[in-house]
Amino acid sequence: MTLVKEAPVRPAKKRSAAPAAGRRGRRRENLAGYLFMSPWIAGFLLLTAGPMIASLYYAFTSYNLFTPPKWVGLDNFTTMFQDPRWQKSVEVTLKYVVVATPLKLLLALGVALLLAQKRRGQALYRAAFYMPSLIGASVSVGFVWRALFSDDAVVDRTQKVFGVDVGGWIGNPDYVLYSLVALSIWQFGAPMVIFLAGLKQVPQELYEAAEMDGAGPLRRFWNITLPMISPVLFFNVLLESIHAFQVFGSAYVVSDTRCGPADATLVYTCYLYQKGFKEAQMGFASAMAWTLVVAVALVTAVLFWSQKKWVHYEEAAK
Amino acid sequence: MGTSRNVERRTILKAAGATAATLGLAATTGCGGDSGTSADGTVTIRYAWWGGEPRTIAIKKAIALFEKKYPKIKIKPEFTDYEAFWEKFQTQASGGNPPDVFQNAVGFLRKYDKRGVLMDLKAQADAGNLNLKNFRNGVLANGQVDGKQIGIPVGANTMALVIDQKAFKKAGVEAKFGWTWNEYFAALQTIQDKSKIAGDTGYFAIMYLYDLYLRQNGKAFFTDSALGFTEADLTQWWEDGYKRVKSGLVADPKKIEQAKPKSGLSAGLAASEFTWDNFSIRYQGEGDSDYGLAPIPTTDGKNTGQYLGSLMLSAFSGTKHPKEVAQFIDFMVHDPEVGKIMGYDRGILATTEQYDAFKPTDPNNKGVAAYEDEVAKAGILGKITPHPSGADVIEAAFLRIGGEVAQGKTKPADAAKALFSEAKAAFAG
Repeated sequence: MTLVKEAPVRPAKKRSAAPAAGRRGRRRENLAGYLFMSPWIAGFLLLTAGPMIASLYYAFTSYNLFTPPKWVGLDNFTTMFQDPRWQKSVEVTLKYVVVATPLKLLLALGVALLLAQKRRGQALYRAAFYMPSLIGASVSVGFVWRALFSDDAVVDRTQKVFGVDVGGWIGNPDYVLYSLVALSIWQFGAPMVIFLAGLKQVPQELYEAAEMDGAGPLRRFWNITLPMISPVLFFNVLLESIHAFQVFGSAYVVSDTRCGPADATLVYTCYLYQKGFKEAQMGFASAMAWTLVVAVALVTAVLFWSQKKWVHYEEAAK
Repeated sequence: MGTSRNVERRTILKAAGATAATLGLAATTGCGGDSGTSADGTVTIRYAWWGGEPRTIAIKKAIALFEKKYPKIKIKPEFTDYEAFWEKFQTQASGGNPPDVFQNAVGFLRKYDKRGVLMDLKAQADAGNLNLKNFRNGVLANGQVDGKQIGIPVGANTMALVIDQKAFKKAGVEAKFGWTWNEYFAALQTIQDKSKIAGDTGYFAIMYLYDLYLRQNGKAFFTDSALGFTEADLTQWWEDGYKRVKSGLVADPKKIEQAKPKSGLSAGLAASEFTWDNFSIRYQGEGDSDYGLAPIPTTDGKNTGQYLGSLMLSAFSGTKHPKEVAQFIDFMVHDPEVGKIMGYDRGILATTEQYDAFKPTDPNNKGVAAYEDEVAKAGILGKITPHPSGADVIEAAFLRIGGEVAQGKTKPADAAKALFSEAKAAFAG
């Protein structure tokens, strides 16, 4: 990468009152810049910052949308922590994050390793593997998933061939969450592409040198590939776990808008949605939202802290 | 890339213009809704309902008829399914922008009355824009809360037991008026023994059925402001229910869940299902068997606890066109032509004009009519019990927690406790 150089300073001789004129010019330049940015700034203030601040305020109120919000201090938070359904939603979400994220990344890395090698029809394979990520967020996929994992459907019948009979995953509180995990894993395309880009950056000389020293493929992967792509891996872990914490659409659609049966797919955002839009407890929902923000921030902080131990940047490798 | 130091004034102006345009756009999209009066005096009112496609087609026909008769009033339709309807409505209403006229049900009357959303239609009736006469079987009272008329019934319905007639026949059991719960469950046992299918699809998670059971025992699901039964009552009800799931008398909840959106009955998972009688029309289309309506089991051989529920039309208290809204509602509930178009989709037609105009010819509608006739003749119909604000949330909780019991995920006693605590929050909300 090249360093970004500062724009050359123009000779100030031309004008007599050079510094003042320069300042005025710069001010005009800034003004134009802000003006060009202003639609975005307005949008940010109106549609993002404003609602966020409002939501932070609502988190400390009792608000049913109709009567003005009533200040209740920390009540929402204390009720929330004692609410068994909230606890259940935390449990379900953590389970989902912990199971889905590593599996998805493992698959993404595995496929990226295969696709990194030169072979015929490579572009086709890449497109095919990436495809699910493009349509993954759509509601229709949720319906397809429901159909696949229902009683006596494809998955159920395939299982029975192997002598496993659970009678479909969708209606079974012990299995239904794993159908969501499967849906998440299926959409491994985005991290895969990032891994691919990372793998391309690994210098070939390292492999050649290692081969000369007699290192086998596993050793080469462990000692060269993995450390070299660790920044990319870190990026993917970070992105995918944040993403997993916010899972909503698939849970909502696959379990027929009720996040069940028996609250088995009651992921955090689903409960938040129910509280806010079905039960009109906007204060409680806001408190939940902010708790999620803080929790995700904490997880991110821990990941950043941990990267010192396992992420190798080029400078360190030298 | 190099930047020019001298930014032209024109550039700044352009940027300013673009910004103003964007902000302007944001401002116009900010105020939604286009109810209003146009230059030629034509009034537009918004009408929203929930339901399936057949209902939507029928209602649109009725609207066309209305617009022909009242050329100065235009109706703008909005429709979704039940769940989405109330989520959308809640948001619209809280923003002061609900539809002028909308479909309503008893579980929502007090909730939105308390929030000042519903118009008392008495004044419009007094002004002669809406006729409150000719309602059958006193069903008009369903739309009354604290002396106000906030809903106008379009149809009346009552709970029923829908049965798979082939399965009942094969087992040689008969559903008859005045049968008891014991007889009902014994019949289900016979069906299970002879046909190897479960008897019921999961009766114990249906709030409206439990209400009937309570009414048979001198209680009710709701009082004016609270639950009309005890935790012990509900624990017993759910313990019995779970026992029957375990023994296979009630269908496996896992299978019922996966059959959705099909019902467990039409999917062939069980031989009977409790539901509102006007919903029974769906089964023939969904399933392969013959379906019929059967009486609700009783405790004492007589009282079923039944009453006439109803779908209604309500109006927004803040509508700009109260007169036109009243005229539209009047047309929808009284006009004989509308009765012919709608049939029993929203229950047996509520007014005599419409009831007399529509003569059902297909077996489904005929069956519903015959069933309600029989219920009315038996003289067992009671008055509807109140539904306090929060009833809708409690109904959803009852279904969900009942489902947890069925799945064996929550013990009946804990489940009853959970329902009571959720109900407390719902009443307070």
